[in-house]
Amino acid sequence: MSAKSVIEPLDIAPNDPLLAYLVSSPGAVDIQQLELDSPAVRSMKAAGIKLAVPLVSQGELIGMLNLGQRMSEQEYSSDDRALLNNLAAQATPALRVAQLVRQQQAEAKERQRIEQELQVARLIQHTLLPKNLPQVEGWHVAAHYQPARAVGGDFYDFIEMEDGRLGLVVGDVTDKGVPAALVMATTRSVLRAAAESMARPGEVLRQANNKLCPDIPENMFVTCLFALLDPVEGRLVYANAGHDAPYQRSEAGVVELRARGMPLGLMPDMEYEELETQLAPGDAILFYSDGLVEAHNSNREMFSFPRLRELLARHVMSTPDELVDFLLDNLARFTGREWDQEDDITLVTLQRVHNVARHTAFATSMLEEVEPPPSDETQAAYGEETPGTDASGKASSTDAPMSAVRPADDGAIWDRITKFEIASRPGNERVAIERVREALRSVDLPARTCERLETAVGEATMNAMEHGNKYQSDVTVVICVELSPRAIRIGVTDQGEPIPLETEEPDLELKLAGMQSPRGWGMFLIKNMVDDMQVVDDAVGHTLQLTVHRERSH
Amino acid sequence: MDQTQTFGVRATEGAAVIDITGELNASSDPALSDAYAQASELSGLILLNFAGLEYMNSSGIGLLVTLLIRANRQKKRLAICGLSDHYRHIFQITKLDDAMKIYETEADALGSDR
Repeated sequence: MSAKSVIEPLDIAPNDPLLAYLVSSPGAVDIQQLELDSPAVRSMKAAGIKLAVPLVSQGELIGMLNLGQRMSEQEYSSDDRALLNNLAAQATPALRVAQLVRQQQAEAKERQRIEQELQVARLIQHTLLPKNLPQVEGWHVAAHYQPARAVGGDFYDFIEMEDGRLGLVVGDVTDKGVPAALVMATTRSVLRAAAESMARPGEVLRQANNKLCPDIPENMFVTCLFALLDPVEGRLVYANAGHDAPYQRSEAGVVELRARGMPLGLMPDMEYEELETQLAPGDAILFYSDGLVEAHNSNREMFSFPRLRELLARHVMSTPDELVDFLLDNLARFTGREWDQEDDITLVTLQRVHNVARHTAFATSMLEEVEPPPSDETQAAYGEETPGTDASGKASSTDAPMSAVRPADDGAIWDRITKFEIASRPGNERVAIERVREALRSVDLPARTCERLETAVGEATMNAMEHGNKYQSDVTVVICVELSPRAIRIGVTDQGEPIPLETEEPDLELKLAGMQSPRGWGMFLIKNMVDDMQVVDDAVGHTLQLTVHRERSH
Repeated sequence: MDQTQTFGVRATEGAAVIDITGELNASSDPALSDAYAQASELSGLILLNFAGLEYMNSSGIGLLVTLLIRANRQKKRLAICGLSDHYRHIFQITKLDDAMKIYETEADALGSDR
């Protein structure tokens, strides 16, 4: 049996009655005899198709074999039909598998595209968020930004005005990913331009709104709070475009700073209420985004405004960095370890300090802290370490303040105890460990905590040298150890590209069964050795930031 | 770093003991494989004594997993002794302590596991 090899593409509309007919047909169908009001049947008849054999997999028509006239011009016999039905039964699963493979390939491609898009969004956001915190005498400013995996549209900004006042912006663009990042970038510029030409927050928002309205995509808008601080008088003037109202904490308690105003980009010519508040020494203000209050735990409970308010009231007066840590600790406790962060979280705190003399004590320079190597043996491993002997052009990364590595928590209360570079050569993680051990000797820490930190630093350094710097010995890993009253923080920075931090969780049983590589313990070890691990990608490089709480280690 | 690393192997009553000294990292692979090969000739129970361990990293853990797979295949038993608190903690979180018997000291291991 053979058919004429005429291959013509056949388009069948999804509602063509032929499809339903073929699904229910037990085998080969005589097309020429078929009486159906079907455009497909008509064109098949015209093409000379005699037999159609449906390929049905799990009740779904996934294809058909079409046959023309037999070469012998004879009719198809019942043997022929049996053979064809047999062939169909064997071809169907093979075709189904092929279709599934193709579908999976398309999905993998799509996932890759989405991942690339997220990367772009992350980059835009990291580029535009402030690299340094403003230094205002008599004030502590702290900020924390924690992007969700899908990158929401949170942003914050500090604008230092010529007259010494400080503009603070906290905002949130609806939508996620690249569109949100682009609107965020535009909003930031528009606000900066408006703030530079006038000094009234309500007016700044009014003008920014009018500039954004014609350009912003229809389904998007921006909530945004703009505040202007007079650091000498302790006066904060603010206006709000539909953003979560900040909280002011003073001795009298916690109050919400409400001001009326529509989000930016919805309607032109809106007015923004402008209010002001006075901050006494010790008072603090918290600006935040809804990612904090709307975080859910595994019981689907929300973190919520009342909880935030209660925490603020409970938190003892201290510096804002500690307030940020305190809130993040509580958030982490609330959400638990397996938390899938749904939205960006932004916290900015502003506090009028009691004692101005205090924060200058921490203004230490990095250069004087480069210690001599502990022994001659390890000398060779240091690579280009001291700024004087640096020929690699990487000196700028040594001199960069820690705030450039992590805009988030930098503030006066992190006391840097050491910062050093090591060359990316196999085995140099031991040097990093040795240096960190030396540095921690002056800190009162339980031996257990030290050992865990050392293991974590060793693993992070190995990753940085291998994956980040590809073991190019002229590219260094920068390690920075900082101390606050509550925690130790170690940043390990390489020059690699931003990479999403997702490694398969190692499982010993799978490994022993040969279903997972015996290796792959690095990230797992790090995570289990420290209380918190963050990744920061910015102009300085790719940083793994490890934090251990001091009070918990006792 | 240490390219000529070797681990000593001793035959004791009932077990072959491998003394893990210095570092257990990616470059320890040949030393550990050699020691295991010698030890598996001597006994069905191989005791890794970590009392002389200075530093083990994630690659070292990977080597131990590989060794476990090999031992399981050859029907040999692996046991561990002499771990510091820190590395004992690491054996716990990686669940290596479920896959191998862990003893405080070599005497404990040889006294009870015969």
